[in-house]
Amino acid sequence: MSHDTKHRLVYMANQISKAFAHDQEDKAVEEISNHLKKFWEKRMLAQIFEHLDAGGEGLDPLAKKAVAALQRSAQPA
Amino acid sequence: MGLIQETDYGTKPSKATALVTLTIDGQSITVPEGTSIMRAAAEMGTRIPKLCATDSLDSFGSCRLCLVEIEGRPGTPASCTTPVGQGMVVHTQNAKVAKLRKGVMELYISDHPLDCLTCSANGNCELQDAAGEVGLREVRYGYEGKNHLDAEKDVSNPYFQFDPSKCIVCSRCVRACEEIQGTFALTIDGSGFNSKVSAGINEDFFDSECVSCGACVQACPTATLMEKSVIEVGQPEHSEVTTCAYCGVGCTFKAEMRGEEVVRLVPYKDGKANHGHSCVKGRFAWGYATHKDRITKPMIREKITDPWREVSWEEAISYAANKFKQIQAEHGKDSIGGITSSRCTNEETYLVQKLIRAGFGNNNVDTCARVCHSPTGYGLVNTYGTSAGTQDFDSVDEADVILVIGANPTDGHPVFASHMKKRLREGAKLIVADPRRIDLVRSPHVEAAHHLALRPGTNVALVNALAHTVIEEGLADEDFIRERCDWDEFAEWAAFIMRKENSPEATEAHTGVPAAELRAAARLYANARNAAIYYGLGVTEHSQGTSTVIAIANLAMATGNVGRPGVGVNPLRGQNNVQGSCDMGSFPHEFPGYRHVSDNTARRILEMDWGVSLSNEPGLRIPNMIDAAMDGTFLGLYIQGEDIVQSDPDTKHMVAGLSAMKCVVVQDLFLNETADYAHVFLPGCSFLEKDGTFTNAERRIQRVRKVMAPKNGYADWEVTVMLAKAMGMTMDYSHPSEIMDEVARTTPSFAGVSYEALDKLGSIQWPCNEKAPTGTPVMHIDGFVRGRGRFIISDYVPTDEKAGPRFPLLLTTGRILSQYNVGAQTRRTDNVAWHGEDVLEIHPFDAEQRGVKDGGWVKLASRAGETSLRAKITDRVAPGVVYTTFHHPLTQANVITTDYSDWATNCPEYKVTAVQVSLSNGPTEWQTEYQAHSEQARRIAPPVAAE
Amino acid sequence: MRIFVPRDSVSVALGSDKLAAAITAEASRRGANVSVVRNGSRGMFWLEPLVEVESDEGRVGFGPMTLADVPALFSGDLKGHPKSVGLVEEIPFFAKQQRLTFARCGVTDPVSLTDYTSHGGFKGLEKARAMTPAAICAEVKDSGLRGRGGAGFPTGIKWETVRNAQAPQKYIVCNADEGDSGTFADRLIIEADPFCLVEGMAIAGLAVGATRGYVYLRSEYPLAISILREAIAIATDAGLLPDFTLEVREGAGAYVCGEETALLDSLEGKRGMVRAKPPIPALRGLFGQPTVINNVLSLAAVPYILAEGGAAYAAYGMGRSRGTMPVQLAGNIKHGGLFEIAFGITLGELINDIGGGTASGRPVRAVQAGGPLGAYFSPAQFDTPYDYEAFTARNGLIGHGGLVVFDDTADMAHMARFAMEFCAHESCGKCTPCRIGSTRGMEVLDKIIARENVAENAALIRDLCDTMKFGSLCALGGFTPYPVMSALTLFPEDFGVTSLPAAAE
Repeated sequence: MSHDTKHRLVYMANQISKAFAHDQEDKAVEEISNHLKKFWEKRMLAQIFEHLDAGGEGLDPLAKKAVAALQRSAQPA
Repeated sequence: MGLIQETDYGTKPSKATALVTLTIDGQSITVPEGTSIMRAAAEMGTRIPKLCATDSLDSFGSCRLCLVEIEGRPGTPASCTTPVGQGMVVHTQNAKVAKLRKGVMELYISDHPLDCLTCSANGNCELQDAAGEVGLREVRYGYEGKNHLDAEKDVSNPYFQFDPSKCIVCSRCVRACEEIQGTFALTIDGSGFNSKVSAGINEDFFDSECVSCGACVQACPTATLMEKSVIEVGQPEHSEVTTCAYCGVGCTFKAEMRGEEVVRLVPYKDGKANHGHSCVKGRFAWGYATHKDRITKPMIREKITDPWREVSWEEAISYAANKFKQIQAEHGKDSIGGITSSRCTNEETYLVQKLIRAGFGNNNVDTCARVCHSPTGYGLVNTYGTSAGTQDFDSVDEADVILVIGANPTDGHPVFASHMKKRLREGAKLIVADPRRIDLVRSPHVEAAHHLALRPGTNVALVNALAHTVIEEGLADEDFIRERCDWDEFAEWAAFIMRKENSPEATEAHTGVPAAELRAAARLYANARNAAIYYGLGVTEHSQGTSTVIAIANLAMATGNVGRPGVGVNPLRGQNNVQGSCDMGSFPHEFPGYRHVSDNTARRILEMDWGVSLSNEPGLRIPNMIDAAMDGTFLGLYIQGEDIVQSDPDTKHMVAGLSAMKCVVVQDLFLNETADYAHVFLPGCSFLEKDGTFTNAERRIQRVRKVMAPKNGYADWEVTVMLAKAMGMTMDYSHPSEIMDEVARTTPSFAGVSYEALDKLGSIQWPCNEKAPTGTPVMHIDGFVRGRGRFIISDYVPTDEKAGPRFPLLLTTGRILSQYNVGAQTRRTDNVAWHGEDVLEIHPFDAEQRGVKDGGWVKLASRAGETSLRAKITDRVAPGVVYTTFHHPLTQANVITTDYSDWATNCPEYKVTAVQVSLSNGPTEWQTEYQAHSEQARRIAPPVAAE
Repeated sequence: MRIFVPRDSVSVALGSDKLAAAITAEASRRGANVSVVRNGSRGMFWLEPLVEVESDEGRVGFGPMTLADVPALFSGDLKGHPKSVGLVEEIPFFAKQQRLTFARCGVTDPVSLTDYTSHGGFKGLEKARAMTPAAICAEVKDSGLRGRGGAGFPTGIKWETVRNAQAPQKYIVCNADEGDSGTFADRLIIEADPFCLVEGMAIAGLAVGATRGYVYLRSEYPLAISILREAIAIATDAGLLPDFTLEVREGAGAYVCGEETALLDSLEGKRGMVRAKPPIPALRGLFGQPTVINNVLSLAAVPYILAEGGAAYAAYGMGRSRGTMPVQLAGNIKHGGLFEIAFGITLGELINDIGGGTASGRPVRAVQAGGPLGAYFSPAQFDTPYDYEAFTARNGLIGHGGLVVFDDTADMAHMARFAMEFCAHESCGKCTPCRIGSTRGMEVLDKIIARENVAENAALIRDLCDTMKFGSLCALGGFTPYPVMSALTLFPEDFGVTSLPAAAE
């Protein structure tokens, strides 16, 4: 546990992923990214995207996929 | 404006539907079967003299003043205990009963002090009134006979006095303690002439089991049990009906006044949440409103290390507005935000979120519900469709089995607890799921059928195992599920719940609850005609808080226990207006009425009304605000009526975040812990000083009425308006009713709410609109609000906060009856007599191992920090579990709590912290430093003489 | 040879246990073939311990027996024994009785099931088993049996009410909290013929559909408690109560717990306080369930009624008072004891002819009928027939059947004060007229006895009695005025008033 914001965001993303881990993977990815979109402020999203771009250390595989999916959909077409 | 007089009908109303017609004193009257003659007479305006009868209690028949004659029946039956009969002819006034009544009254007065003129009840004494009604003119027995005139007063209770010399032994106090409060603290000691009211076994009130709810004082017809405030000040001369500002029960009180001075608060019989009952906080602990610690002048300071400087309202407001504008200019519009309070009115909360969304131009608004019931919102919206409890409180009268999970109603929601206990005494069965043996598990005439003493942090496993038993043993309500829910979702959920890992036998390893006990509890719940679930922060304040709410919702749906009186899923809200502050759009992701900020329809309605464009992206939650402050991107915060330093987890991190901000504005009654880190202090006012509404745990919107002028000059909503205007917004309201009108026109579930309607109906439970013009006591009656009830899989994920070699015990926290949350109010009342400090409850086994003595100092340490407090050795907690309250800032229980939080809502995991307990000599270094810092931070500079 | 030595409280108090031992010892010393049977009391207390020896003509009585009289029992000359009273059943006091309820008392060994059945026991229960509950209630109604505890409410109607009530559990409660001074019939029958009560309660259970019964027995009757418990165990073990669970609960010495609703509170484990009626116990009694609560004597009358038919019982008595009443003669009376007789006999016959006048030999001055709260009668009223309505007409009550006799040395003002004192002592304190009124009554009577403002105080006591009589919640406060007012009315001279004072208003 750390007070570093990035670490907290990684922890939160992993926690959310675990709550949906029982779903089929594509559904879980959708649920997780929806959750992030619905509740995370843009600074938080920016930081987690940045972290993912930097390799996404500490993110669970499912969380990684969901953050990536959200990042893709958030980018202007 | 005079004193509100409530009619006392003498006995309770009959619930029968069949009607009976009788003649009383020559007048025909029709009343429901089972009505007493006394009540029937009262309903037609005939007062039969009475002393032991009052309509809040079961009739007793002891005073023998209400005797009447009934044609064709022998004797003179008591009208309070005799039900009406068809065709009955009753005479309430004739020579025979007049003589009898006078004879009885003569006996009463032969043992009563003749000090009416100097008596505190003078002018409001039922004995005095009755003596007048029966026309007593002399007492032929004289006054030299045996009497109780020298009986000693008991002044041990801080709020009321017991003067047995004035007692008429009507037993109203004893009965109130039993029937209304359910504590059974009082009894009649002795017999015959020596009968006397006694608290416990010849104890004084303070040392007895008495919980100081005031029911006995309320019931007393004389000055025997009397508020000390009335003895001091005299009888009140006018009153106003208002709503209590403590817990989420939302009791209605009459504030009885002399001029602008409160004489007493008296529970209001017509209060729909409390039905005339109260607890020690609402009834007596209002003295904080005039406490010397109240700050009534605005103050500012450049740096938090400076002393405070008292300034004019104009200066304070413009200082704050300029700072905020400056921060936004330098760091962008998202660099500031605000926090609303569940202590404030709906109108005030609404204005703060409006100021942030429309004035600050972002959605960085959050509220203290973040740390209590945010999981309730998420869990119930997703399963049922509404972010609120499903029932009204009265629903408990129909419940046959009551499941209490992670709530301690007798301490946290005492008035509802009394209501529940009454139902339990009538025979409803109780299941308690709590790590601690709370009072409800076993108290006078109440005993839980099952106490599932689970390990902290294993709620989901426990509730899943209950559901597993229901499905496995074929106890599900298939008809209900087919009719109300999505069958495929149910089937998927049922398959999940039937997994072996969710069986009671498997979860026992996590929860510590024996499988057989859990199965028995599940059967009891599932087989009940009506089974209701009540839960509290023991459910929500976990890393899986939301999952537990969902699991509970699943369980209730699977057994068909939703959508009618007597059932449901009922969050017990901690604060007076948690429900309301959430309803009013205090969360960063949703507008008033739980509409997501990305909901275009909702946003357009508000944009049209407010005349600005609004952000469609969620804002920051409190913990993320603090993180962003540490990152240097969030630098200004407006906090109305909240003390996040004391109430939020991981104090050290919180303090660091606040210290990093450039402008913290605190609006509060007192210089609280958070104000130590503030630059602007805006004095707030108490609920007695403003108009508005609170919404209680049953979605009941009730009026708060101003009984005295704001001591600080402005109601809180007016201060927000001034700040908004200084920030450049247009905000014009002449009265809070206009704010509610705005809520109504922009929020569909509030469409029918107005002050006019509230005055007319007394209170309204939302949704209130065209479909439900008088509100909605029980929800989901004809189907779930979201359409079909949704089963959601709730997997048990153990918390990362685990006991281990360094921190082998699990700490859980809670509340005590006499104190309220951070204690800002109750610590400034005589309630401290009951709970002067927070103590650590520890099992004798764990205490023995550590050499801990009862009452001795111990150090409580976790990964986050450490604090010291005194130990209380008790087997209320299981071995391995310790418990404390968080009412006192000196204890700083939240120095210990970690920043683990709920996966969905970030509601902090207050209920599970791995700790170690060791011996200590006194306060820790942190506590000493903290106190020194507080003293430093609260200096107020002496006023500078004008030049 | 069988020798009967009673084992009831009175005889034991008078040494019957030692007597029984001495008889056994004497018999073995002499090698006589004697079996000692511990029977119940016949109810002739002036003869206790009354030892009976079986003979060809019947049972010959010897009493009051002392240890010194034992050897003579074996002398062969029974008639010449100094304590011989002849054939017991020919003693006039006994011979004049009409024993229906107490028929077996003193005859049998109280805990012998064989004795009980061979004397007609369980015939009523057997008949009841073959009847519908409605028919049992009808039989009891036909008998005209009224509550023997004092209120005189028709037992059959009470049962019918309970029978018609719908509830998962019903109860039979027997009130054996016999607290009236000068009464002992409950104790006597429980100690002499406990199966009779057991049978009566079992019949009541069948009649109303109750499967549980409680006997609330005062703790001052330890012998009765143990005998009844023994009898219940014997009957249960013998399979005679297949669908009825019976339990003895001990009272704790409060007079008011003889009041039925206070008794129920006490049975429930609460402090015994009078409950306001309605609801009546028949609908909401013990633990809130429909409950038959009857006195011992009412329940004990039932086996006869079922065995012989309601009409047979109703053939006794007068007016609306049907059947027999076990009258208990006590106080200053020559022949104190239990006398069961059909209603209709006069008070004078009971006191003078049966009781033989005072024990002191002085003239009778007053008789208190119906316990400490019953009215006093003067010899001028000795023509009053023993009948509920006739007693009521003379402001008196039959109550539990006690008659306490006083000779001409009694000071009736003190007796009036005693009534108030008794009420003050026993008041539960719930209702005001009784709680305060009894104490004030004592104070006012003290003033009268001290001859202070006698006229005003006599008027005040009369007003107070009205307030208590019509205003009290239960019979304790409601009946205390009876002895007070009857004493004042009949014996004004003891109060220092020459004639009856008028009410103050």
